[in-house]
Amino acid sequence: MDFYNTDYYTNRELSWVRFNARVLSEAKDKEIELFERLKFLSITASNLDEFFMVRVASLKDMVHAGYNKKDIAGLKAGEQLNLLYPVLHDFVKDQYSCYRMLAKECQKKGLVMVERHEDLKAEDGEFVDRYFTDHVYPVLTPMAVDSSRPFPLIKNKSLNICALLVKKGKDPSKEKHLEFATVQVPSVLPRLVKLEDKDGQQRVIRLEEVIERNMHRLFLNYDVLGSAPFQIMRNADLTIEEEEAEDLLKEIEKQIRKRQWGEAIRLEVEKGIDKRLLKTLKQELAISDEDIYEIDGPLDLTFLMKVYGLEGFDGYRHSSPAPSEVPQIPAGSDVFAAIRAGDILLHHPYQSFRPVVDFIRQAAEDPDVLAIKQTLYRVSGNSPIVRALAEAAENGKQVSVLVELKARFDEENNIGWARMLEKAGCHVIYGLVGLKTHCKIALVVRREEDGIRRYVHLGTGNYNDATARLYTDMGLLTCSESVGEDATAVFNMLSGYSEPLGWNELSLAPLWLKKRLLKLIRRETAAARAGRQSGIRAKMNSLCDPDVIAALYEASAAGVKIDLLVRGICCLKVGIKGVSENIRVYSIVGNYLEHGRIFVFENDCEPEVYLASADWMPRNLERRVEIMFPLREPALKQRVIHILDMQFADNVKKHTLLSGGEYRKEKIGKNENRLSCQELFEEEARRMTEKRKGKKASRRFIPRSHIDE
Amino acid sequence: MADKKETPRLFAAMDVGSFELCMKIFEISSGGMRQIEYIRQRLALGTDSYVSKKISLPKMEELFRILQEFKDVMRSYHIKEYRAYGTSALRETENTEILLDQIRNRSGIKLDILSNSEQRFLDYKAIAASGKQFDEIIAEGTAIVDIGGGSIQLSLFDKGRLVITQSLKLGVLRLLERLTAIKPRSSQVEAVLDEMIDGQLHVFRKMYLKEREVKNLIVMDDYLSAHFRKAVAGTSEKNVVKAEDFLRFAEAIAPEGSEELAERLELPEESVPMLKISAGIMKRVVRSFSAEALWAPGATLCDGIAYEYAEGKHLKSAARDFEADILACASTISRRYMGSRKRAAAMEQIALAIFDGMRKVHGMGERERLLLRLSAILHDCGKFINLTNVGDCSYSIIMNTEMIGLSHLEREMVASVVKFNHEDFEYFEDLSAHSDISEEAYLTIAKLTAILRIANALDKSQKQKVKEISAVMREDRLLLTVDAGADLLFEQERVRARADFFEEVYGIRPEICRK
Repeated sequence: MDFYNTDYYTNRELSWVRFNARVLSEAKDKEIELFERLKFLSITASNLDEFFMVRVASLKDMVHAGYNKKDIAGLKAGEQLNLLYPVLHDFVKDQYSCYRMLAKECQKKGLVMVERHEDLKAEDGEFVDRYFTDHVYPVLTPMAVDSSRPFPLIKNKSLNICALLVKKGKDPSKEKHLEFATVQVPSVLPRLVKLEDKDGQQRVIRLEEVIERNMHRLFLNYDVLGSAPFQIMRNADLTIEEEEAEDLLKEIEKQIRKRQWGEAIRLEVEKGIDKRLLKTLKQELAISDEDIYEIDGPLDLTFLMKVYGLEGFDGYRHSSPAPSEVPQIPAGSDVFAAIRAGDILLHHPYQSFRPVVDFIRQAAEDPDVLAIKQTLYRVSGNSPIVRALAEAAENGKQVSVLVELKARFDEENNIGWARMLEKAGCHVIYGLVGLKTHCKIALVVRREEDGIRRYVHLGTGNYNDATARLYTDMGLLTCSESVGEDATAVFNMLSGYSEPLGWNELSLAPLWLKKRLLKLIRRETAAARAGRQSGIRAKMNSLCDPDVIAALYEASAAGVKIDLLVRGICCLKVGIKGVSENIRVYSIVGNYLEHGRIFVFENDCEPEVYLASADWMPRNLERRVEIMFPLREPALKQRVIHILDMQFADNVKKHTLLSGGEYRKEKIGKNENRLSCQELFEEEARRMTEKRKGKKASRRFIPRSHIDE
Repeated sequence: MADKKETPRLFAAMDVGSFELCMKIFEISSGGMRQIEYIRQRLALGTDSYVSKKISLPKMEELFRILQEFKDVMRSYHIKEYRAYGTSALRETENTEILLDQIRNRSGIKLDILSNSEQRFLDYKAIAASGKQFDEIIAEGTAIVDIGGGSIQLSLFDKGRLVITQSLKLGVLRLLERLTAIKPRSSQVEAVLDEMIDGQLHVFRKMYLKEREVKNLIVMDDYLSAHFRKAVAGTSEKNVVKAEDFLRFAEAIAPEGSEELAERLELPEESVPMLKISAGIMKRVVRSFSAEALWAPGATLCDGIAYEYAEGKHLKSAARDFEADILACASTISRRYMGSRKRAAAMEQIALAIFDGMRKVHGMGERERLLLRLSAILHDCGKFINLTNVGDCSYSIIMNTEMIGLSHLEREMVASVVKFNHEDFEYFEDLSAHSDISEEAYLTIAKLTAILRIANALDKSQKQKVKEISAVMREDRLLLTVDAGADLLFEQERVRARADFFEEVYGIRPEICRK
């Protein structure tokens, strides 16, 4: 049986679009607070922008480079694009029907989004015209196109308005008198202009409408025959370093110079745009029909994030409870003492990220701490961890930080604080040649009475206190000798020393993790064949490594029951006869972004539980430094298994992958109780804290040992 | 002391080897040694020095850089005590002293060079320190095969005692260099390698093995032993592997491609050639010695360095009487050159009585006492070559014989003491003309020579007449009270004749009185 048969695999891009559709389904879900739905719709829009900018652009690059290799599903780049075009056009239509529905709902709840400037009442018109004169007009740069002025360079991703002009007194019916002009909607001004409240309703209008209404004032000697907003996307600024593009661009590394820089890959125009304007745009941008999207509604829906942030409407937003305290480490307590008492599992965002920050902060101040070593991938601006690391170095501790600068979007931000760390005396390693360091590990070496003790934090998510409130992740705090030894070896390797002779607990990518993973899967396969208990349950963000998928198919064929929670891309197909009948794939899209990686192998009734920083993607397993670590404490294993149990039992936010490749959202059965795992975990975390507090209830005052920020 | 919690000491051991630099950090307490860091960095210094006797500038720069980093790591643990040693790659440079000075200035690390026998002795200590299993294994005929970059060291045990140790220039890196020079086709590599190894191994076996049975081999190397368990998976227990399993493994990997082998054994591809040569050497040794089992304790030089440090600080009681091993080796050497064991024992007895009786005067310690014993044991080995020129011949034999556990200087001291027992004493001015021996070592030679000469005189008849002897200081005389089975006229005359030199050295005159 050839488990690599391309028929058994879903194309990665199509699977991604289905993921975005699941996010969109949240926007459509009437059970969800209205403003949360606006947020989800906004997220689908920014997701899609990124998808175009990176994935579609890369595929186009491959076509231009004449690259013919097929993907996991047996498709060449051009074939993938041809499959994608209709899917993407349909998706956009779906987005806008959702938008119209939500806009109506908003109106019912007291928020009027004025769609067109033509709909403005006279007094509102005066107001926006004044706003235009005072704030907008001074920053506009209208540009006309004629024989002496070439078509201007339209900035990537910028929102623009094009206009068809005719000089006053000239005959507009003669084509030679028509002129094309364009003006960029200034990104420095807020996209939403608030109108005066009316009848208790808040009202807003988009900036481009305000400009369109005043278009004639930009071209005084002309008549404006028509105007329309448009937005283009180019394939500029894309490098192999790009997180989401590397698998494609790596393939055409040598031909990469053949890429057409700055080529427009998507044009969005308002539906009903003057045919003559569209024709000019099409010509000047050299863009083909399948890349043009006629939008029935406002361009660039990411402005909905601004709507989400409007004051009032609190009842229409989801109020997440503050993260619960970690019962073993209440605020102000000694993190190291708590870890010595036993391994501690952290479940974010239900549980506070604060113990992790305190771990570094207390290490920085602790006179017995000799060294702190940490990897930093994406940290928040003004990160308390970065500050603590700098402080530790100033306190004379040896601080080594591996900063991964290739993490997109926050590169500039990263360089700034990395320099700051260096100035403070930290040893900063700016990544490894050819590899990105994606693992999340922190090591504190402490000199104690009975000798050196090493404290380690290992996590599935970044050391980012901001995203730790939005992403679901897990972490482990331990001072186990064997993990400490491995952690030391990890940092020695990251510092350029030779690999250790062996590992106790950790599996590292790119050298060992994938092999270990395949071994674990095959052990289940062998168990199933031998008639022993077998089973694999795993949760991750994406699944698209062909070797892993093939191993899973083989396991399934041997009778191993496999349950997967794959939030995003999944190239594995379920329900193929003799191949994947024993595999079930689910996806949870909820208020918090599911981010943790948890793998459980049945291991003949002695389940092994692993947490990891890596998805089952080639890039994670082969081009990243990643860590997978086991949980050894039975109680912690049990807790993680319970967490998985509850996720699989979710009947509110869970989608099920069907054999056709579509996803079906779970519905609560007649005799079923509602179970939303994210809500449940919030509740459980709270109960854990209360239980602990109840136990320790005492009537003494507790002096603070340090000032909270 | 048992009640009070003892804070462990931190100690760093550095090994500047021929293909790798490594540092281990240990926490040492009376409870034992705990390794907390093990950092390795590849740097093939040996490929330079074995060929050109020099180390190239880029490698020197790299060496400085790595040592500097080691120092930083040490600093992060607030470590003050360390030992850093260079082995064959640095030993074989022509400008060793200049190199060491540069290293000290550039990296702040004080590096010392270990002689081969010192290095092997530390290796041996590291192995012996790995515990009970070692004692069990050497109860039967055992050889240690210590594979280094420049040479390998074969050490034989007899009835639990180390008796012979010999270095052969068959180090992994050296063989690799030679193979590269020969450029055999891949199908020929194995045969060429076998030939290179077999010649030297054959001689060793003929000379030393004879009727000795070697059942067990203890392997110490950087490649094979690290992957021993994985390599011969399933067959090994406590890292002991049956010879046939090992041979099967060695045969299997010889033709295997680097990439597949690296993948299979989960080791870096660059290590594969070394692993193959290591396995090739062991294969020949197993066959040549007809060994039955192999044991890889996984000990390294750094472990030995730390062990010695702990021993020196009395943080650890000796796992074994290593002096007894050194003496046993010396006895084997003496026997090889047909030395009289009885006479040596008599001389040793007398010499030690004098040494112990004069402790207050001579100010020498245990190490010098050991050198004196060795001198007594080896006092006449030169007569094997020429009866009329025993002193010079003995000197040459000792200088050309590996004496495990002795530094080069110590070996020269023993050789000199033995020589001057027979020949006229050379004073510092003459001695330093042809030797770079220090003044301090020279004084020790003089002191030990004076004692050995008296011991020699007291057994001049070679009849072991002295049954018991005690030495007592009486003002400016050393009273040697002898219980002898026969008259001592001849001996007394010899002592008188040799007393001048003794008096010259100690300002004390030895006198014999019968009990």
